[in-house]
This record gives sequence, C-alpha cells and structure tokens, in this order.
Amino acid sequence: MFYAQLLVNGIVQGLVIGLAALSITLVFGIARFPNAATGDFMTFGAFSALTAHQATGSILFGGLGAIVATGLVSLLAYWAVFRRLADRSVVALLVASIGIGFLLRAVLGVVFGHGQQVFQVPLTRPYVFNGIRVMPLDLQLAAVAALALALVFSLLYLTPIGRQMRAVADNRDLARVSGIRPGRVMVALWLVAGGVAGVAGMMLGIKTIVTPEFGWEMLLPAFTAAILGGIGSPVGAVAAGLILGVAQELSTPFVGFTYKIALAFIIMLAVLLLRPRGLFGQLEGAR
Amino acid sequence: MEAYLVAIGIIALIYVILSLGLTLQYGLTGLINFGHVGFFAIGAYTSALLAFQGVPLVLCFAAAAVLAGIAAWPIGLVSLRLRDDYFAIVTLGFSEVVRIVITSEKWLTSGVQGLPGVPRLYEELGGFTAQLAVFATILAVTLLGIWMIRRIAGSPFGRLIEAIRDNEEAVQALGKDPARFKIQVLVVGAAFAGIAGAFYAHYITYIVPDQFIPLVTFYVWMAIIMGGVGRVSGAVVGSAILMLFLEGSRFLRDVLPGVSEVDMASVRIGAVGFLLILFIMYRPQGLMGDYTKR
Repeated sequence: MFYAQLLVNGIVQGLVIGLAALSITLVFGIARFPNAATGDFMTFGAFSALTAHQATGSILFGGLGAIVATGLVSLLAYWAVFRRLADRSVVALLVASIGIGFLLRAVLGVVFGHGQQVFQVPLTRPYVFNGIRVMPLDLQLAAVAALALALVFSLLYLTPIGRQMRAVADNRDLARVSGIRPGRVMVALWLVAGGVAGVAGMMLGIKTIVTPEFGWEMLLPAFTAAILGGIGSPVGAVAAGLILGVAQELSTPFVGFTYKIALAFIIMLAVLLLRPRGLFGQLEGAR
Repeated sequence: MEAYLVAIGIIALIYVILSLGLTLQYGLTGLINFGHVGFFAIGAYTSALLAFQGVPLVLCFAAAAVLAGIAAWPIGLVSLRLRDDYFAIVTLGFSEVVRIVITSEKWLTSGVQGLPGVPRLYEELGGFTAQLAVFATILAVTLLGIWMIRRIAGSPFGRLIEAIRDNEEAVQALGKDPARFKIQVLVVGAAFAGIAGAFYAHYITYIVPDQFIPLVTFYVWMAIIMGGVGRVSGAVVGSAILMLFLEGSRFLRDVLPGVSEVDMASVRIGAVGFLLILFIMYRPQGLMGDYTKR
C-alpha cells in the first residue's frame, strides 16, 4: 500500500519531468542541440504563472500566463541567439544555451528576489481510494498536463506545421528540398518548446517552492528522460518522464531523498551505454 | 593592501590551473567537459580530509591529483561511446552527483556544514610570510603546469589530440584509437582540477558543498573562451580577466548603495551568461585567439 501511494505521488512528478523532457527532445530533434536553458525556461514559467495567479487568482490563467510568457522568451532566445549560431558547432549552441539560462536566472533573481515563493492554493482534503490518498490538486495538475500534452501532440500530428516539424526532425535536408521553410518550423518549435517548459515549471512550482534556481535542478532528470525515451521521440519523452518520476519516488525509501537526482544520472549512463537509442528512438548513428 | 593583492593572486592562479586542465581537454582535444567543478571538489575534499588525518600536506596534494584523475577514468570509459553533446550532459551530471554525494555523506564530509579549519600551507611561517610562500608555491606549480601543457601540445601526442578535435574520423582512419587518447587527456585534465582543488581547500581553509556548484565550471569556461580556446596564453589571460570581473563585482557592491549580496550574485551570474553568449557569437576565438581565422 505504501508503494502504491509512492506510485501515485510519482505520477505528477513524472508528468513534470515528462513535459520538460518533451521540450528538450523537440529541440534536440529539430534544432539538434541539447538545450541547457530548459531548466531556466521552467523557472521562468513558474514565476510567470505565479504572477498571473496572484493577479487573477486562477490556476488556469496562471497556466496560460506560463505558456505565453515562456513561449515568447524561448522564441526571443531563438531569434536573438540560436538562430545566428545555427550553422556553428554544437558546442557553440550548447554554451550559448547555458549563457541564456544564466541570464534568465539572473533576471528572475533580481526581479523576484531570492526568497522562496509559494503558490497560494487552497488546502483541500484528499480523496481516498482503497486507502490510497489522492490530492484534488494533483488531479488538477494531471489534467493540466494532459491538456498541454493533448495540445502539443495534436499540433505535432494533426496540423501541417506539426508535420513539417516532424519532417525536419526526421531529415533536415530532405525536408528542405521538399520545400519546407525552416524559419517557420523553428518559430513553431521554440514557441512550443518554451510553452511546454513553462507548464512544467508551473506544475513544479505548485508542488514545491519557487526559487530562481529550482528549474536548473530539474535539468538532469529531464535530460535523462529525453535520452531514455529516445531523442526526438515526443511520446518516448513523456513515457520516460513518467517512468523516471515513479522510479524516483519508489527509490526514495531505499536511497533517501537527496539521491533521487543521482538515480537519474545512473539511469542516464545505463541507457547511453546499453541502449543509446532509448525506448522509442530511431537508430541515429553513433552517439 | 599587499596581503589583498597576494590573496587575489592566489585565487587567480587557482583559476589558471583549472583553465589549464580545461584547455587540455576542450581547447586541444575538443572534449566538452561541463563537469570540471566535480574534479575540483574531489581534489579539495580529498586533500582536506587526508590533512585532518595528519597526512603530510605534500602527500595530500598528490592524493588530490590522483583521486581526481581516477574519478575521471570511468567518465572517460563512458565517453568512448558518446557524441560530444552527450558527453557534455554526462559530465555536467557527474559534477552534480559529486556535489550530492558530498552533501549526503555526512559521516565523511559533514554535509552542508562543511569542513572548517583545513590546515594551511606553511602554517609555521605565520602571517604574511606564509601567504607569500603559498603564492610562490602555487606560482611554481602553475608554471610547471604551463610547461607541461606546452610540452604536451608540441609533442606527437599533442598533434594527435588536436587531430582528434579537428577530425576524429580521420584519426580513426589512420589507425589510431581516439578513445584511448581522450581518456588520457580527461584524466590529466582532471588531475589539474584536483590540484587546484587542494590549493583552494588549504588556502580558503573552509569548504562546503555550495562552493562547488556548476557555476564554477562555467567561470572556467568563460575564462578560456574569453582568453582564447586552445591557447595556454588564453587560459592565463582569461583567468586574469575572470578574476578582475569577480573582484570588480565585489567592489561594485561596496560602492553601489542598496545592492545586496544576493542581488550581486544574480548580476554576476547574468554577466557570465551574457559574456558567454557574446563571445560565442562574435569572438569565438577569444581575445588571444588567432585573428586571421573567423
């Protein structure tokens, strides 16, 4: 029963990781570099949601605020920096993404201070199913995540721009000779990647305490989930995020709270060594 | 005032040693090591813990270098199979795990409370003389390090690792095994970081896990990117600029009213981010880099 409870707790955590991993995997698949600013995009989303929530008192508007604001910041990062480095080595993009992350963290630190901020959400009584407690808030968060995922997946699989994004991820040159304009795809990519990270940040913020550093600490689990799911596979990222979230919760009684992140690292190494294409990835040459 | 200048000099030289390690790894070989601070931390804690056991400081320093190098070995083995960008993520993760282990294993490291009272070098000399002696020692070690990197860069080994950086497939086609050389480079670079860590621990005399955050790694990256990637002079110049920047931001806080230490920390992180972006975009070869190449 105890483990069933941990499993339920792990699912919301897993959705957060899964959304962050989705952002990473989309960028990795289409723009071809690991975006180390994803964690700070999450932080930005959490603070945007916090501001919108304080102004309107509604979680829904908080979420919308997070999506719009983080999507725009992400687009700005692309427009100002990543776009100009597109033909350079992956190191340049990687270092630049670290720089953008630092810059965002600094801005948030100066504007919001380094105190711990919390979402003022009403305390509610948990529902009890067969002795397993489920918080209504967790259900709401799961619903928000499901909605965000439904939106992203319908964008990816039901719209022309989504098909173009997948085509560029699949084979950039072939996409280009087929008349797909990379500029539009990139704009869509960065809006989606930012928005998704923003939602993940808001969810994490509601579950924990918001500080300017808290998103950065999610980067390692998120990268792990992206790699475990197979780079470039949106379904894989979400599934791997859920697996990782649950695994982290289940491992807590054995290894303690602080080693959760270390667990993510071990899983990442194991996947890279044993099955570098992850659970759902396509073969992509040497890693 | 002299004491202050010497103190800055010591810290700057610690950064030079760190930069030399990264110059070998990234500048010459092209290994994107985002976990430099992990090896720095291993060196610092190894040396401090041994010193508490009464081990002579010379041996502590040697152990710091050896242990940091050994810690790099498995990372190197993993790196055989990884592309550059994955290697960056793995090393970044490694340094975070090192910090988590240091924070959690309280029986060894006393966790977040840290280790106060790490023995100083040349304690018996006392005061300013001791500080000068520390400075002379670290200067000698740095010069030795510079000489080593220069020797490595000029040797057949150096030409080979530069070839790996420029075109790994070509090196493979010539019948060399790049992975072996990458591991060696990683281990030696990590040993540099370990030595730097030992100097840091015995100079600051108080180490806590929070001193070993990834920001330190990117200070070093900033130093070598600003100075000029792949050049020993770049590592030195970059570290000097880094030191000016770090100390300057401290003075700025004393001068500007109403700016708290945490705000200044934010500004410092922001400036690091901004400089990294600017240099990567507009001057990737750094200040001391080759001006003929773009």
